[in-house]
Amino acid sequence: MKKSIEFNIKPDWDEIEKVRNESAEFLQSHDLSDDTIHSLSMIISELIENGIKYGDFKMVADKVVVVINLERNTVTIEVFNPVDESALKHLSRLDRTIQWIRGYQDPFEAYINRIKEVSQKPLQDNESGIGLVRIAYEGNALLDFFVGDNNLLNVSVVSNLDGDDRNPS
Amino acid sequence: MMNQRPPRFNAHLLQGQSKIPIEAQYASRFSLLIRFFNGFPSDQAAEFNKIVFQQNGDKIEMGPCEYIVEPHDQHFQGRLVFNQAVYDLNSLFFKDKLEKLQGEFSNLPLILAHKSKIKAAFKEFTANLTYDLTIYKNIFDSLDARFADEPAPIKHKVQTAIIETEGRKFMRFLDQKLDEFENLIINYSRKDHERHGFYLRKQLWHFLMCAPFMARTNLKPRGYSGDSVMMKMLYDNRYEGDSTFARLMHKHPNEHPAAQAVRNRRQLISEMLGHLKSGRPPSSGNKLRVLSVACGPAFELQDVLTSAEDCAKFHFTLLDQDKSALSEAASLLARLEKKYGAEVEVDLLNESVRTMLTTPKLDTMWGKFDYIYSMGLFDYLTPPVAKAVLTKLFQILRPGGEMVIGNFHISNPSRFYMEYWLDWVLYYRTEQEFIDLLKNVTSAESRVLFEDTGSQMFLHVRNTER
Repeated sequence: MKKSIEFNIKPDWDEIEKVRNESAEFLQSHDLSDDTIHSLSMIISELIENGIKYGDFKMVADKVVVVINLERNTVTIEVFNPVDESALKHLSRLDRTIQWIRGYQDPFEAYINRIKEVSQKPLQDNESGIGLVRIAYEGNALLDFFVGDNNLLNVSVVSNLDGDDRNPS
Repeated sequence: MMNQRPPRFNAHLLQGQSKIPIEAQYASRFSLLIRFFNGFPSDQAAEFNKIVFQQNGDKIEMGPCEYIVEPHDQHFQGRLVFNQAVYDLNSLFFKDKLEKLQGEFSNLPLILAHKSKIKAAFKEFTANLTYDLTIYKNIFDSLDARFADEPAPIKHKVQTAIIETEGRKFMRFLDQKLDEFENLIINYSRKDHERHGFYLRKQLWHFLMCAPFMARTNLKPRGYSGDSVMMKMLYDNRYEGDSTFARLMHKHPNEHPAAQAVRNRRQLISEMLGHLKSGRPPSSGNKLRVLSVACGPAFELQDVLTSAEDCAKFHFTLLDQDKSALSEAASLLARLEKKYGAEVEVDLLNESVRTMLTTPKLDTMWGKFDYIYSMGLFDYLTPPVAKAVLTKLFQILRPGGEMVIGNFHISNPSRFYMEYWLDWVLYYRTEQEFIDLLKNVTSAESRVLFEDTGSQMFLHVRNTER
């Protein structure tokens, strides 16, 4: 049974549901529990949404690429999309946010702090970053990213699989 | 913030159906100075439904509020304070956030409920530990009070005597408690660890906050773990803190294997660079080009640069995301230059490794290096990022050049002490996982080494290209 699956999709919101369904089937075929599949599907949707929202798709060939790789104890999800120069300054904020989230042993702590910040109503319309915190907390996953050659942004999550993440055999 | 002129603006107060025009000015975090424009008896206290004004194009409404007469001010007639929802005016005027003081309670049900999945045995362990620590703290604090008025040198001697006797016994007590703790959590899942760590820290919070090292790792004032101040505390390995108890709590994690591993790795890098400099006489012309990735304050350079000749042999490129750490490294190099009367060639790069990879043709911009090292970085990089960074670093390694990368091993005996008590989480790897990060690079010859505690491993890579 193949351990990884890859999707090359157009930057189109309708594509998200398709990837979500197909990746759920893939994860199901590896006996992951419904709760785990639900969490991973949430992560996949969040990452693709961000990819479409912040990506730079000037050429027809520019796509969002999603790679899901399943090992014995981990699932790694990587989402690639091109970004333009103007996005680079936002990546410093992404860097700080990810380090801040991962600075907590329990992502719940990042979650409650971010919820508190959002409830403090910033007068300017800043991004809440709540999606990333949900990935860490509800998805129980480690977030990371880098920007590679040709300004290709790779946002990834690594999720550890505990015993209860798989269906009993 | 305090250097900014206090914002002054026109507003109106609502009282029933009446709309009362005023001039207002930020006075303190929770009060405004106000002056009534006309027709309102300004010598009497009064209550209002709300204050309304514009700020940066947004309509702000806050209330209910109360007017307090303050007759001594030359311009304003009194202050406005909020008597139900208490608004933080620092946040409003200086951070552009409408924040209520009571907002701290907004997550209360969620936080209280978080303890529902804590195992009974862990609760019992934590309760006992809290009791024991309270007793120890009370005794050490009462001893501190008894010698508090002694002259400084006497105070120091008395405190040292207490630390060396009862203090060391307390450290052994902490060791025993940590053994008990490790046995208790041995079969916990990752989610259990996260939840129980949160619970433990909440229970022990005021004990943790009194120890400078534990406070810093928990609070992370620079936004990330392992900043240069924490590194300096680890290297110094001293008793630090405002009380004997605080000093002991500070010292204990600094004596743990992971802390010793950090001190060992500094020595290892110094030795490797020392070996490198002795193998290349300066007469060969070219300087040894060394890149330190996530260099921090680069304390190891004072072990490497011990003469004017040493300074002449190297060209350092120091990269870090933290400007403060780079500035500390620059100060250290300036001190060494002064000490040896020689110039050290150095480039300081304020970059994050996560975004540096966008730089096209990194080798053209930064050049190629004889030696690349990175000690406290890969512990925070997940495999996709670690692979990308390592591959890119390998591309700027000269043929025959060497690279040494540190990463704590999965068996780090301080792991759960760090995670639960210090809120310091690393990405641990096995030897194979570490080596696999470079498996797509054909011209790399790799091996894994360990420092003496066995907590930390080093991926030693040589570029075998000719």
